[in-house]
Amino acid sequence: MKHANRAGIYFLVPAVLIIAFVLLFPIIQTVVLSFGRNSTSIFIGYEYAGLANYQRLLKTPRFITSLNNTIIFTAVTVPLELLLGIALALILNRRFRGKGLVRMAVLFPWALPTALNALMWRWMFNTEFGLFNSMLTDTGLALERVNWLGAIPSSMLAMMFVSIWKTSSFMALLLLAGLQTIPSDLYEAGSVDGTNRLTEFRFITLPLLRPAILVSVLLRTMDAMRTFELPFNLTDGGPLTSTETLSLYAYRAIFQYVNFNLGSSAILIQFIIIMSISVIYILIIRRGDA
Amino acid sequence: MINERRIFLCLLLSLTLLIPVSAQDMVDLTLSIGARGFGNAAPILIEACQEEVGGINVEWERISDVPNESRSIYVTNFTARNPKPDIIAVDVIWPGDFAARGWIASLEDYIAEEDLADYLPGFLAAAQVGGSTYAIPLYIDGIHLFYRADLLDKYGLDVPTTWEELIAAAETVVEGEANPDLAGFISMWAKIEGLFMNWLAFFQGAGGTFFDADGNLDINNEAGVKSLSTMVGMLESGVAPESILTFRPNDARLLFQQERAVFLMVQDFVWATLTADDSPVKDAVALTRVPYFEGNDDTNTTVIGGFLLAVNANSENPGAAADFIKCFTSYESQVQAALIQGKVPTRPAVYTDDRVVEGDPGIAALGANFVYAFARPSAQTGTAYPEISEIMQTEVSAALLGEKTPEQALADAEAQILAIMP
Repeated sequence: MKHANRAGIYFLVPAVLIIAFVLLFPIIQTVVLSFGRNSTSIFIGYEYAGLANYQRLLKTPRFITSLNNTIIFTAVTVPLELLLGIALALILNRRFRGKGLVRMAVLFPWALPTALNALMWRWMFNTEFGLFNSMLTDTGLALERVNWLGAIPSSMLAMMFVSIWKTSSFMALLLLAGLQTIPSDLYEAGSVDGTNRLTEFRFITLPLLRPAILVSVLLRTMDAMRTFELPFNLTDGGPLTSTETLSLYAYRAIFQYVNFNLGSSAILIQFIIIMSISVIYILIIRRGDA
Repeated sequence: MINERRIFLCLLLSLTLLIPVSAQDMVDLTLSIGARGFGNAAPILIEACQEEVGGINVEWERISDVPNESRSIYVTNFTARNPKPDIIAVDVIWPGDFAARGWIASLEDYIAEEDLADYLPGFLAAAQVGGSTYAIPLYIDGIHLFYRADLLDKYGLDVPTTWEELIAAAETVVEGEANPDLAGFISMWAKIEGLFMNWLAFFQGAGGTFFDADGNLDINNEAGVKSLSTMVGMLESGVAPESILTFRPNDARLLFQQERAVFLMVQDFVWATLTADDSPVKDAVALTRVPYFEGNDDTNTTVIGGFLLAVNANSENPGAAADFIKCFTSYESQVQAALIQGKVPTRPAVYTDDRVVEGDPGIAALGANFVYAFARPSAQTGTAYPEISEIMQTEVSAALLGEKTPEQALADAEAQILAIMP
């Protein structure tokens, strides 16, 4: 038995080494670079600068703005996505004709790549040629074209709208899986005790759906905190920096200003925030299990 | 049996000897340039120059034509000290930055001083850092003022040369046409590099220069305020539509092509599309130089863009690469590029070449505006340029969105730029 274990470890070594290289090395490089100055590599010409990058970031209004944007974006979109997701999941969990087709339709926005979605919506929000403005002006609902992506805060609202449109279906899918694990005899037992639709949802569905809700909210929060393709393709972070997210800021620091160190610090701050949120979520989930 | 094996081994050995010999004869070079940008002209010129230089074998690496995308690729390659690609096409604003980072090689030892005299000096200046030339101009594009000649004729208006005239003309036409879909002036005022170019054109036209004669930042002054408040005024009076704040060059082009604008100020790549057979404005569009403010008729207002060729500092064959660049940007090559792909040459002599005048009359018209050419301050600012441009874009946007007064925006821009200048 002991012998077999050792052989198992040997077999694991190559895989572990490869994972360490492709997973661990970039993380270590990012951490080390974030404490550096004028360095693009941890091997050649690395210069230690202590906390200088972090101090600079905290004094950079643009970084603070991007942090705020990210938090506001997450705080608005995730709860709305959850509500819409629950509603969609409940509908999809019923039996009706053409259920397969509806499920596919709901999944469609999620199946499309975000970058493609963003470009598509950019056209629809376009002030001069866009679908929304021509609908509004043709029907006489608005006299002037709305400058959706060119004004504050409509640009951020547009971005939130696209995100909710796209990811509610993802929420719905995870929650649907959760709904289907709820045994139907619970509902039968409930009906014997005289539940109506509302109390059924409140006392049977919701408590049993709790793990699925927590997991999907956790995944979405992490995702929303890292949003990059959406602002990059929809608004380019504008107008001004009103829709610039942390990821977009870090990308610009690295690839536009070629400041790998500042960008790495920004990424690390983002990482710490996401990590703390995740830990809180996981603790809540664990407590629920116990 | 033994004999056979021996013969076989001999053959194998001679084969391995042959390989290095043939490799030594031919130098392999990689040329990285946009697939759309230089398009059909690239393979033709590569073949011609392979023959002319001799002993080189050039592979064409097709990269993105979007400057920010190709720049990301270069940042990755050069940070990793990759010796390939040997020759790269660089945007006019990159040489100062790339040279300061040691990514591209000085061409001093390979290209003689007198050979440089034939290129547009305003363009070449963008590639000269500390008296050394780091890139050779390939093709130029710049900002021009495109206008609807038919509408100006209809209202008996002259082609405007000043901003005052342009604003008055735009107001007259828009009022006369009474079409809510018609805009007076459009351009690229989204928060992009093109916005910085726009403001610079206004600023130079008001008599300003980004750096004064001593090399000090000089934007927070009368010319700065005049240029920025004129732009804000155009938005407020409706000469420029609000949506201009989301326009990139092609968005503006599209609106103009749909007969929905009187004046369009963007780069010259739109010319081919605007004058194509299926364009509704093909007979009505004309172009002139970017205006200036009254009393500043001696200022240069044509902000230039375009591409140059540079040699990777880690290239294994910088000499051969430089020879190839010399051929690729020669008089003959530029005539070919103009005729095949409509690229505006960087040697002014080519504008009046008989073949070019006959083959593509638009080139001569565009070329005439480059007498007023000026480059963005990228050679002076080195590695700080992208950040400086971004600061200017943000502050100009803030003024246009009404978040700040022009005075405040310029003062803020000045303070931020001084803090990061090397």
